[in-house]
Amino acid sequence: MDISQYRDLFISESRGHIQAITGLIVRLEDNGYDAGCVDDLFRHAHSLKGMAATMEINAVANLAHRMEDLLSPVRSGECPFSPLIADLLLEGSDTLSGMIDAVENGAAELPEPHDLLQRLSAFDPTAASASGSPDSGRPASSPADGIPPVFSSPLKQPKAGHSFRHSDSFKSVRVRTETLDRLINITGELITTRHRLADVTSGMDAPHLQEPLKQLTVLIRELRDEVFQARMLPFSFVAERFPRLVRDLARAQGKEIALRIKGREIELDRGILEEIAEPLVHILRNAVDHGMETPAERTATGKRAAGEITITVSRDKDHVEIAVADDGRGMSPHLLAEQAVAQGLIGRNEADALTPREKLLLTCLPGFSTAKTISDISGRGVGMDAVKNTVQSLSGSLAIESEPGSGSRIVLRLPVTVSIIPALLVRCGALTVALPVNAVSRTIELKRSDLFDDNGHLAFMLDNATIPLKSLHAAFGQKPSRGTEGLLPVVISEVGGAPVGIMTDALMGQQEIFVKPLGTPLSRLRGITGGAVTGDGSIVFVADLGAIG
Amino acid sequence: MGKTVMIVDDSLVMRTILRGIMREQGYSVVAEAASGIETMKQLHEHSPDLITLDIILPDVNGLNLLDAILAIRPQSKVVVCSSISQEAVIHKALEHGAHAFLQKPFTPEKVAAALENLER
Repeated sequence: MDISQYRDLFISESRGHIQAITGLIVRLEDNGYDAGCVDDLFRHAHSLKGMAATMEINAVANLAHRMEDLLSPVRSGECPFSPLIADLLLEGSDTLSGMIDAVENGAAELPEPHDLLQRLSAFDPTAASASGSPDSGRPASSPADGIPPVFSSPLKQPKAGHSFRHSDSFKSVRVRTETLDRLINITGELITTRHRLADVTSGMDAPHLQEPLKQLTVLIRELRDEVFQARMLPFSFVAERFPRLVRDLARAQGKEIALRIKGREIELDRGILEEIAEPLVHILRNAVDHGMETPAERTATGKRAAGEITITVSRDKDHVEIAVADDGRGMSPHLLAEQAVAQGLIGRNEADALTPREKLLLTCLPGFSTAKTISDISGRGVGMDAVKNTVQSLSGSLAIESEPGSGSRIVLRLPVTVSIIPALLVRCGALTVALPVNAVSRTIELKRSDLFDDNGHLAFMLDNATIPLKSLHAAFGQKPSRGTEGLLPVVISEVGGAPVGIMTDALMGQQEIFVKPLGTPLSRLRGITGGAVTGDGSIVFVADLGAIG
Repeated sequence: MGKTVMIVDDSLVMRTILRGIMREQGYSVVAEAASGIETMKQLHEHSPDLITLDIILPDVNGLNLLDAILAIRPQSKVVVCSSISQEAVIHKALEHGAHAFLQKPFTPEKVAAALENLER
């Protein structure tokens, strides 16, 4: 029997088990003993063992077997689920993960982790239970037959909300991610081709063409929706590793932090999830390192010793909002502004004109760092400019809220999908530029007399607020059309956090475009996120409004 | 007509491997299930000659599921599958009425031996 043909399947299923194992360990540590969790943990280790043994990958089978053995006394109630056991199991799941990577990379034989295996088998549950907390122990009654009691009569139909988990194993297939990328590419090209077809036929008196064209439009839209849906993954896809990350960071610094994740089932495009994973790690790291106080500091200020970080994911039409909130020391907008001035990043006048929210966003300035002297007010400079750049390149926005003493909240607002987006086409000198519609809050027309000088910058009034006016021409190296007597078409965007007006030459209408990445060296250009081909076959650049504003 | 089998295992890898082996043994695989509830659903529609049952499943106690299978499909033979370290459970399963036992890892030889046991 040639078992190598099952290798890919084995790798992906193993990763699922290892991820589940890690998640369950952290959950048990956070929430205390839970018989269901321990049983699940046991089952995942057990499944992995059986699978690896069949695949003749013995190092994985042996390690999973020892981990399973370590869990046996916990299941039977002989010893509590102690931090010591958690550490050993986490080390085990990390080692397993490395082994699976090695299998994927074609390693012929995996070395046995002798030291870890030895420590796993040498573990003495009775010694551990003496030091474990009594309330984490298993209740006295436990099944003697070694398998979890689930329901007494399996013939009864489960009630709604029962713990039965339906498996979709027969209704779904595994598809390589490259295939999904190709599908979206083809769909995008189809949309472009349809625009061209519509363009070509628009001047013709050809009613027999109009009907199939209309039909084509409907079908392509359906296809687009289906392809998008196929690319969607739940937020949990990236969030699984966060509890572990927070746990390890907090432990290393002697802090107590619980991480809650709400809305982990909300779906986003795979591409966006991949992009956003690293920024979220940055944000969590900052929250643990700088935002959260030590238990002693917290108690001294009347807070509970254990801090809490909450990630809340919510969907709002075409957007998903990911909010990371902590109940730590918070940030002082005033002190952040002082620091930015001291570092020469902004001028005094500029600093004074900023709203508190804008001051908080100073943490995203490249080069902004909070030196030791003000680390007490919680510096968050580390990597925040990278976070902001990533969010903006996805046509999303970033906002920071903070209250000194009671915590901070960082909100990422992201489109649900990328690649195929509705765009506002505008004229800018000799170019047509596409602005993602979800980055545009509204469009207005201004008279030249509406503009005034605000500390050396052009600005205008809108809803009683002073809005700075930026020019798309400068960003694209185009000459503004001078001397026109008429109205100035202006696009208002709030991508950068505060509203900004962006001057254009003309608004040309809305179109669905298929955004393609620009190759080097064009991709290095600031202010451009990609390119697209419009219906008439011309190439347009997609502007990054965050970088312009 | 050849004999029919239903494979119950929560691992897709294990089901795929066992599917190949069972076909080589001349069985046609009429159903597969990854959980207890799926098993019961499939058994409403299928009446396989043989059922291979992984004793550790995500949603049910394997012994309870075994009892249920034997109750609604008394004519089906049940081969209980599990890895090492679960001897106690296997023993209990045989007491509950399982017809044979197959220890993981699966190999064509082991499956053939288990099927032979069944014939006796």
